[in-house]
Amino acid sequence: MINTKELEKRWYRYKAKSLILVFSILVVLLILIYGGYYILYKLDLNISFGEQSKQTAVMDAKVDKESNETVTEEKRESDEVMLAPTIPIVDLESEKINDKKERRRVAEKKRVKSKEKLVKVKASTYLTAQELAVVNGSSLNSRETKKINLHGTSNNYMNIMKKKFEQNKNPREALLIAKAYYKAGNYENSEKWALKANNLDKKLDESWLIFASSQEKLGKQQEALKILIAYYRTSKSPKAKALIDKIKAKSI
Amino acid sequence: MKRSKYSDIKNIFIDSVDQENFVELDSTTYNYQVLEESLDKPLKMILLFGRPGTGKSMILNKLYHDLKNSREIHYFDAPILSEKEFLKRIYEGISSRKIPQNMRVNFDGLLKFCQSLRGKREIMFLLDECQLYSEALMEKIRLLSDTRVVKFVITLHKTENEELIAKEHFKTRIWEVIELKNATPEELNIYIKKKLLQKSFVEVSNMITKKDIKFIHTCTKGNFRETNKFLYTIFNIYEYYDMYKPEKIGGVKLSKKILEMAAIKIGYIDD
Repeated sequence: MINTKELEKRWYRYKAKSLILVFSILVVLLILIYGGYYILYKLDLNISFGEQSKQTAVMDAKVDKESNETVTEEKRESDEVMLAPTIPIVDLESEKINDKKERRRVAEKKRVKSKEKLVKVKASTYLTAQELAVVNGSSLNSRETKKINLHGTSNNYMNIMKKKFEQNKNPREALLIAKAYYKAGNYENSEKWALKANNLDKKLDESWLIFASSQEKLGKQQEALKILIAYYRTSKSPKAKALIDKIKAKSI
Repeated sequence: MKRSKYSDIKNIFIDSVDQENFVELDSTTYNYQVLEESLDKPLKMILLFGRPGTGKSMILNKLYHDLKNSREIHYFDAPILSEKEFLKRIYEGISSRKIPQNMRVNFDGLLKFCQSLRGKREIMFLLDECQLYSEALMEKIRLLSDTRVVKFVITLHKTENEELIAKEHFKTRIWEVIELKNATPEELNIYIKKKLLQKSFVEVSNMITKKDIKFIHTCTKGNFRETNKFLYTIFNIYEYYDMYKPEKIGGVKLSKKILEMAAIKIGYIDD
């Protein structure tokens, strides 16, 4: 009969060996996977660091000179930031003085701005010297032409403008007529001439605005809004946006 | 003393060439048919070759038992290395006469005797393990087969040298060459189960799974002799446990542990 005791011992030895083998294979596999992952990760890092270091090397060379200057500035800035919350006491006297100074500064700025605006309005006059002479019945060289009131919507002015428009079909002239009618409170005509100007040149920002404003004045807020919104979508005109807001605010 | 059923099972796998143990597989049946058909052809020699344990002796033995009552057939299951003894046995086979111990057969006389029987008789000799015969004796076998009175069915182990013998000595005379190969896992499965079922061990046959067959085939490479040895060892271990530690062999499947123990015992796997 077979000696199973000895055979069992050999079998246990064999099983232990098999388990060790399987375990070793697993460990080797894990090491390989981990190693591979680590190498790839490191390689990836090296590549990205390599690229970064190249870029930064160039950047550093450029920035190096500036850095000395900026460092001191940054230090100052950071000092302020750091110190600000550490002052718990506010000097009310100096604050009042600062307030007064600030108010004066703002008022000054506003004045300068309004002056700039006035200058701009003057520049937007489209009538030539010759036209003005015709309007007022005076010669070109006459010094009195300067004193003529241009804001009036006299029939003479309208007729000349309309005549001129009939000759050259310039959308700018149609727009000027529309503006004149709008200012005179003749919104139906301003709407009509703005439309004419718009038909000739769709990109003419003011033609849209005058048209919509006239409609608004005629009580057609919704139509005005629709037109303006449609125009704003394509042009992104800030003036159109402002007018939309204005009409909306009014209707609310 | 209690007798285990595994004692009988293990004995099924004792390696023998007994024709009762012949298991019909597709390949063995085909080879046997080819061999039977070859005997009816006007051949001189039939070569049966293959690696040890592929069933050459088993086929030769079965052929002898199947034909011994219908044809003049003689089976030399063990090689006769002495030329004197070999010629004597051939002469005795042909003449059906006993030659006294102190006498020997003259080869030329034997050749003439065979020639005289040409067209009258056809005597068949089955020679197993021919790789052990000397070249001189093989040459005499060749000359005897030339008489067309004596036919030889010889078996050779398939090794490089033996193939050389086959090529050099017999290539002009061998009419049929039958090569026997190791079994496939499927054939091995049928072989093992048929062996068990032949002895009505249905329960044990059902215990052997495809996985077990795969393991057995891996160990034995499909060699019938090795398979018999392996299964004998498996059921030998089963016998021991059945008698002394029956709690260790419960279950409806063959114990993997016992399979591995048997493989260690034979040396298929190292411990």
